[in-house]
Amino acid sequence: MPVSPTPLHSAAALAIDARNVGRVYKAKPNPIVALDGIDLTVRPGELFGLLGPNGAGKTTLIKILTTLLLPSSGTASVFGFDVERQTSQIRRIMNIVSGGEQSGYGLLQVREQLWMFSQFYGLGVREGWRRVDELIDLVGLQEQRVQKVSQLSTGQRQKLNFARGLLNDPWIFFLDEPTLGLDVSAARATRELTLAWQAAVPGRTILLTSHYMAEVDEMCDRLAIVDRGRILAIGTPAELKHRVQSESIFRLELDRLDRGVGALARLPGVISAASVAGNDNGADGERNTILVKLVLVDDGALGPVVSALAGLDAHIVSLQKSEPSLEDVFVELVGRGFEDDLTVHQNGTGLRSAGSRPADEESVAEELAGRSR
Amino acid sequence: MTALAEAGTRWSRQADPESTRRQSIAQVWRGFLTATRLGWQTEANWTNPVVYFLYAVCTPVFATLMLVFMIQVISGGNAPPAYRAYVVIGSGLWSFVVAGIAGLAWAVLDDRERYRMLKYLFVSPNDLLVLLLGRGLARMMVGAMGAIVTLGLGVVVLGLPLDLARIDWPVLVAAMVLGLVSIVALGLILASVAMQTRQDSWHYPEAVSGALFLIVGAVFPLNILPTFAQAFGLISPLTWWLEAVRRALFPDIQSGIGGAGSLYASLAGHDAPSGIEALLALLLTTVVVTLAAVATYRWSEHRAKERGLFDVTTGS
Repeated sequence: MPVSPTPLHSAAALAIDARNVGRVYKAKPNPIVALDGIDLTVRPGELFGLLGPNGAGKTTLIKILTTLLLPSSGTASVFGFDVERQTSQIRRIMNIVSGGEQSGYGLLQVREQLWMFSQFYGLGVREGWRRVDELIDLVGLQEQRVQKVSQLSTGQRQKLNFARGLLNDPWIFFLDEPTLGLDVSAARATRELTLAWQAAVPGRTILLTSHYMAEVDEMCDRLAIVDRGRILAIGTPAELKHRVQSESIFRLELDRLDRGVGALARLPGVISAASVAGNDNGADGERNTILVKLVLVDDGALGPVVSALAGLDAHIVSLQKSEPSLEDVFVELVGRGFEDDLTVHQNGTGLRSAGSRPADEESVAEELAGRSR
Repeated sequence: MTALAEAGTRWSRQADPESTRRQSIAQVWRGFLTATRLGWQTEANWTNPVVYFLYAVCTPVFATLMLVFMIQVISGGNAPPAYRAYVVIGSGLWSFVVAGIAGLAWAVLDDRERYRMLKYLFVSPNDLLVLLLGRGLARMMVGAMGAIVTLGLGVVVLGLPLDLARIDWPVLVAAMVLGLVSIVALGLILASVAMQTRQDSWHYPEAVSGALFLIVGAVFPLNILPTFAQAFGLISPLTWWLEAVRRALFPDIQSGIGGAGSLYASLAGHDAPSGIEALLALLLTTVVVTLAAVATYRWSEHRAKERGLFDVTTGS
């Protein structure tokens, strides 16, 4: 049952409801299964992430949900509207921005191109110009307002693309690898804009695909890990990480441990203790601390361990709890990482802003870690 | 980002999945006009207006002059004025055909291969067909400039015997409307093909308009063609369009369809069609071609959606 447009959407309807969605591309010698029975629900107001390597099926799912592609099997709806039969309703309440592409009418000015789309989205002339000018300011393209699209940098084009995507104030915003190919600062601006847009009005929904794990981890309320056309796990980042780590893991740095790590392993609540490395930070290169990876049944076992260390004549230099990453989750689920895919993809696009460091998994993680500090 | 929050609050009431009939019509009209403007800008924005005007009119003007001079040379300077009129009208009006047939197909190819915007247009609330028609109209306007200038030069420079008092205006207006519809329909069929094919299809419109040029009586009558070619000509609306326009402008001009030994004469039992007869045949063939074009387009659009062709850059 389609939802009423006022208020923004009904809590009763799902923003996305995909049931057993399959997609097979005809190809020789064998058909390619891009989606293999996807079941997915996204609630209104969620920022939901699809995380997976290239070829996982993320973009194919977005194409189906944005009415660009028909599913081979199954059903899907957006705010209650069927993606096959009610395309016009869906197109009025959604928008899509894809990253890593050089789209745009190069001969048009930034302002002209946005205004043109405002008319395609059904806005009136005056309302169109008003939104265009506001969005140009919001995304930071004031200086490029009358510049031709062909003269924009990759990051500026993505800002323009973002502004186009926001013109019709969609209920649901599909972002397909929005930071792909952007330099670090442009990627950061894109993430900030995304979060600010969603936070501005309760109920705005975002479906984000990415293969930057730190990006998805930081931004998304929930996410699905996708590989080879199938959803392997769905949950909040914390839930997913918890799935692969039921124990508590600590990284313990001690000044000495004369009786060896075996003494720690025998303490109550300790599952395992292993010496992982030493710090050679003395001037003469002499090892002067000991690093231990300590696996406990739960956090509560840490107290007795700390007490026992005094009896072992060992002093704690540092103590850090080790959190699993989404990569650990992916490896646990799939049995492999997708670093190789990522490298190949980034090198293949060639979409990097001249003179700027391109965003990659490492830089995204660094930046997000810095922000959280 | 405070401004974003404020703007979003104001706007959020306006995204609406449903629309009234009146809103839908307004949106279609707005989309069509904007697409026409987009077509004009992408067509003409690469240079200043004067240079573009020269570019747009030089090709048809010089193509027509070349044909006229060839006829003069071949006839030893004795080509009758009526035949010059025949050639000038056919060649001048052909600007519409070239522009109209290519316009829609090139809009598909431009937006898919060059601008990478076809998918964004397709998932906008507007029907892609409406947007393509707008783009096609823009190119037709360019073709119109060439046609008008060519016909004007024909009268002023080549001395075509145009008598305004003898022009059959109702037939002329009706023929032009139907003719342009049929050209757009043919363009739509080619756009449907371009949607399915590779980048090589840039050349298809030229190939099709070139083939049609030979069989629709543009610069020589059908009766010099083999019978099967005449048959193809008779089922083409362009043949009847040119005939009706010629009849309306120059009532005494020779028929491009009938004549001694023509297929038309043997089928109809008289030598040449009247202006009204040509108009009726134009109406019939236009309806058929238009229906076929819409059906072809809808099939092509569905197939492209089924196969995911809207955002595939072939880049061949």
